[in-house]
Amino acid sequence: MLTLRYKADTSVPVEVEGLTPSAVRGLSVPEIERYEIFNGNRKLSLAEFFDVSGDPADGRLEFEGNLAGVHWIGAKMSEGEIHVRGDAGRHVGSEITGGTIHVHGNASDWVGGEMHGGLIHVHGNAGHLIGSAYRGSKVGMTGGTILVDGSVGNEVGLTLRRGLVAIGGACGDFVGFNMAAGTVLVFGQCGNRPAAGMRRGTVGLFGGTPPALLVSFRKSCVCRPLFLQLIFRQLQSLGFAVPSDCWSANYSLYNGDHVALGRGEVLIREIA
Amino acid sequence: MSGEPVLRRGVAIVDTFAEAFGMRAARVLITARSNAWARTAAQSMTGFATSVIGCKVEAGIEAELLPKETPDGRPGVSVLLFGFDADGLRGRLVDRVGQTVLTCPTTACFDGLPEATERVIVGGALRHFGDKYQASKVVDGQRYWRIPVMEGEFLVQEAFGVQRAIGGGNFLILAADQDAALAAAEAAVEVMRKVRGVVLPFPGGIVRAGSKVGAKRYKTMIASTNDAYCPTLRGRTDVTSELPEGVNSVLEIVVDGLDRPAIESALRAGIDAACRPGVIQISAGNYGGKLGKHHFQLHTLLAEASA
Repeated sequence: MLTLRYKADTSVPVEVEGLTPSAVRGLSVPEIERYEIFNGNRKLSLAEFFDVSGDPADGRLEFEGNLAGVHWIGAKMSEGEIHVRGDAGRHVGSEITGGTIHVHGNASDWVGGEMHGGLIHVHGNAGHLIGSAYRGSKVGMTGGTILVDGSVGNEVGLTLRRGLVAIGGACGDFVGFNMAAGTVLVFGQCGNRPAAGMRRGTVGLFGGTPPALLVSFRKSCVCRPLFLQLIFRQLQSLGFAVPSDCWSANYSLYNGDHVALGRGEVLIREIA
Repeated sequence: MSGEPVLRRGVAIVDTFAEAFGMRAARVLITARSNAWARTAAQSMTGFATSVIGCKVEAGIEAELLPKETPDGRPGVSVLLFGFDADGLRGRLVDRVGQTVLTCPTTACFDGLPEATERVIVGGALRHFGDKYQASKVVDGQRYWRIPVMEGEFLVQEAFGVQRAIGGGNFLILAADQDAALAAAEAAVEVMRKVRGVVLPFPGGIVRAGSKVGAKRYKTMIASTNDAYCPTLRGRTDVTSELPEGVNSVLEIVVDGLDRPAIESALRAGIDAACRPGVIQISAGNYGGKLGKHHFQLHTLLAEASA
């Protein structure tokens, strides 16, 4: 395990894009200390911001300290494991294709932006645009799983194409906006206009009082979709808490968004 | 037969071997709202699947599953299907899952061989029943199809694993009368069905119409009655009977399995259970060792059981 203890005190963003397990595997600690990262628009060595120790051979990186100003942690990672012991900045796990990232604290915006595979688990809260497409992109996240135990902001799963996003707490507005497919599940309170413009895929609203759906959604039935049992089991196996009343609940199924393709579904848990 | 028979509880175990064949197998997990509905679907799926020669597939119920043993946490039944090759098995899976599981209330259908590297598309073919109203979900790297049906939704896995397997393990129960033969066969089936990884594809697990390869008089027949073991033909001059004095009824147990150890366990348990009053001899069916590459020596099986 390679430990990177954050020691800097700067208000200028620090960007560690590319510092992944596969990038440092096989390097010695002095070589890793010379790894270049950005501080604002300046390229500086990693050692100016982090104390580096340990051995990266096992593919595990451990970030320690208050990393709220450190961005792009684990971006473009393809394998291995990253743990962030503390808060993380924006773009955690951006465009990753594999491996696992755990943030044992809060994360900022754009967690898992346009990711293609792997797992990101934020054990605290996260910001806006989780698992979303970048501005101007036609396709967002195309695979993998994002779990946030706490609450998140707006536009979660924007233009999602494939993959699973599960939010344990509350969620802001426009969850699943323009979704092409995939699954977004919100277990807490949800903001306004969920699933607006969705073409396919599933948005699950399992919290207490769901917001009113747009008029471009039509109710189909009340059901117990069996595939949810598979997803709940997967979430549970990944250490994500699925509320006990979700397992045996009935769900109202709405089809939409009929302003788009209209082949998506919103599942709203029926409160017994 | 080469050596002297050994005795087990007064029953002579012939020094011979069962000859079995290499096959391909799939394991299908059927779940439903209740055990009863899972069993109903499984029984329907495994009907008319006694012999690859006549039915294109051999199948049977392997085990009943507890909710904790199934992918969706509901009661289930595990079914094994055996075919000559993966492509043939794929066709039979599509036919049978489509006609007997998709149609059965509350069921879902999952792959029971997730480790198998060879995979055949089943749900991916059945999805067309959904007439483009179907949808899929990828969960834990596996794709599942959600096919809308009048009851709600049928959930079926896209691909099923296929692995090498063995079909045609067997033994013969030679008894003094029909009652004794049937009681011994029933006792054998009861213990053999507790072995995981095997199925007994014939009705009730028992075959009364064992066959020989081809026919003496009908040249187009692939298989015909095993005259050497038919008691009513013992007095015919054109039959070389294998039946010892006092034998008036013979039943056969056929077992297909995912691997050799599973078949050995089943044969060992079954032969032991079949050694009961009224049974005179236990033998096995083979073709002189020239057709099937898997041979199960009865004496070796029992020696391992005693060891």
